[in-house]
Amino acid sequence: MKILRYTIAIAGALAALTTANVRADELVIWSRTNGPAEDKALKQIFSEFEAANPGVTIKMETRSVDEHKSALRIAAASKAGPDLYYMWAGLGLGGEFVKAGMSAPVDEYYAKYKWNERLRPLADAYTTLYPPNRHGVPYQLNGEAIYYNKELFKKAGIAQPPQSYDELVAAAAKLKQAGIPAITFGGSVNWHVMRLMDVLLETKCGAKAHDALIAMTVKWSETTCATDAFNEFHKWTSEYTLKPFMSYDQTQSRKLFEANRAAMMLEGDWMANQLRTETKTPQEFGVFAFPTGTDRLYGFGVNFYINPNGKKDLAAKFLDYFVSDKVQQENLGAFGPLGVNKNVAPKNPDVFDKAWFGLFDQYKASFVNGDQGFPLDVTTEYWRIINAVATDTMESGKAAAALQAFIDKRG
Amino acid sequence: MVVVPSDTIVLPRRSWRDGLTSAQAQGWILLAPALAIYAGFALYPMIEVFVLSFQKWNGLSPAREFVGFANYIFIFRDDPVFWMALGNTVIWTALAIVIPPILGFLLALALNQALPGRNALRAVFYLPVVIAPIAVATMWKWMYDPFFGLFSTLLTDIGFQSFIPDWLGNRRIALYSIFAGYVWQHAGFSMVLFLAGLQGVSDSLVEAARMDGASRFQVLRYVILPALRTTTTVVVVLSLIQSLRAFDIVYGMTLGGPAQSTQMLALWAFTQSMQIHDFGRGAAVAVVLLLMTIAVIIPYLLWRARNDKAQGRSA
Repeated sequence: MKILRYTIAIAGALAALTTANVRADELVIWSRTNGPAEDKALKQIFSEFEAANPGVTIKMETRSVDEHKSALRIAAASKAGPDLYYMWAGLGLGGEFVKAGMSAPVDEYYAKYKWNERLRPLADAYTTLYPPNRHGVPYQLNGEAIYYNKELFKKAGIAQPPQSYDELVAAAAKLKQAGIPAITFGGSVNWHVMRLMDVLLETKCGAKAHDALIAMTVKWSETTCATDAFNEFHKWTSEYTLKPFMSYDQTQSRKLFEANRAAMMLEGDWMANQLRTETKTPQEFGVFAFPTGTDRLYGFGVNFYINPNGKKDLAAKFLDYFVSDKVQQENLGAFGPLGVNKNVAPKNPDVFDKAWFGLFDQYKASFVNGDQGFPLDVTTEYWRIINAVATDTMESGKAAAALQAFIDKRG
Repeated sequence: MVVVPSDTIVLPRRSWRDGLTSAQAQGWILLAPALAIYAGFALYPMIEVFVLSFQKWNGLSPAREFVGFANYIFIFRDDPVFWMALGNTVIWTALAIVIPPILGFLLALALNQALPGRNALRAVFYLPVVIAPIAVATMWKWMYDPFFGLFSTLLTDIGFQSFIPDWLGNRRIALYSIFAGYVWQHAGFSMVLFLAGLQGVSDSLVEAARMDGASRFQVLRYVILPALRTTTTVVVVLSLIQSLRAFDIVYGMTLGGPAQSTQMLALWAFTQSMQIHDFGRGAAVAVVLLLMTIAVIIPYLLWRARNDKAQGRSA
């Protein structure tokens, strides 16, 4: 009996402590590990918001990407978790959490705060992926394009960035003739070389068929352009890619690009900062969109999603502050080269700023990376098939059928 | 009057209170915390994994759907990676029970001699065992780097640039390249066990064999190896169990690639559960691996029990 009393007392004390830790005016945010610039900016934004809202505190918990996803799954099962969380917007990531009911619709807050009047259309589009409601508020907008080495292009006799896919292939051939590997990828991380396949699908199939293939509403094995894209992919990996590339990752690939070992690299807007800090002559590099021939830019969006079991109003109030002109202008560059707010612009734009702002202004729509469009099991098989084609262990002509066979059997 | 046969001993009935004072009960009390932890953190998860292998669950939905043998049917019939992972696990295990033990034995034989700096050398060869496998993976990954790695640089320096293979990117050699790192890490473990075994080989037996005219090889073949039979069994079984659990080094070096060609059962179970979030299929793969491990462990435990009994160490 005595033991029972002690146990109850200890349990009560623990419960009291736990309750005391979750304060009514504390906003809990979960995110993946932030970069140094992003971390500094967020801390500043949090303290300003707290100062403007006496009594409110913001607590951010960060984890590595995989741990972040796992923690959110555990939270979903227990109906607990953060008030706000960071997640990529694509079907295989943010889509899963929306489907599982872990995202509160934000339509009423959009109407209340008029967010769509200040958000970039490309960023805003990632909140309407899961009708009938809006889910998430844009946190980050990323584009991926070809970075090229101006000097190596000049050496190969290429006067200007290619404007069409045929011109791009011709440029790659010229580079090869000049003894320069045209492009570099890090094959050990599946998603890096996947980008090449993604843009080739967009190029060969066009926007509508590409979307249908990713949504798996058409058969890969019966869609000729899918096989064309795999054939083209094999051509690039066997003839134009810096080799060997299957055993190193995207970071080593970037180092090789910076060391002038390859003329092009298909990377995200975030690489601009790396080129600025890791090379002595960043102006020697340029950026152009992969010429898919469609009117869509390759890239993805990241949203902050509101947990329906969390403090929704407080979360929305913070998000309103976060996407405000003032915060986005003051922290431009901390969350990617351009913010999600269309009213901001860099004060002293360099060559990369100009290139990326130009691309985001030029394109009104985007297509996402394969691993964000597919469910996770299909993504894993997509990677296996891409790598098998790249390593000559699967004929490119059989790749589309192999992927379809998996899709048919997945149940 | 009851007549009790003279060879029958009647023991008094003991209550649990009597038992509490006995040495056996004290043993159980001392074991209880460890057993509770084992039950909570090993037995329960094992049972949970077994149950999960008959369910469909993505870690997000509140309900787990019972699907019978569907997960097993999928991994055996439709999963394009499972058989590759199983094949790699078998190859890996076969190599792991031969190569590190042989190397460890040779090292033990050498370091059992009265060499100058013998203890330092023993420490050097044992050192990789204490390094975390993920750190070993990182080191070897760098050494295999096709542009800046140690092996590529060495081959370039001696004029064999055109023969530099893509150690971790060529699916025909990637598994064996990883295995080389595994051997480097585990040979020292076998070495230490064999060294301990060699201490038990009677010097007088070796001397007697030599006086009878036995060559060095004959001494090894007919005196040392038979004396190391128990040690060899322990080394082989422990190497086998370790090899079935191979995960970190593969994860750290290739993530199972290229094109899943270095995938192993342990890593595939992890990938299915923690990256694809198909906990049912991941659990099915884990159960297959568990059954393989049990098939090895049970005979080993029985052998150990028989051996202990023969040596009079039974309870």
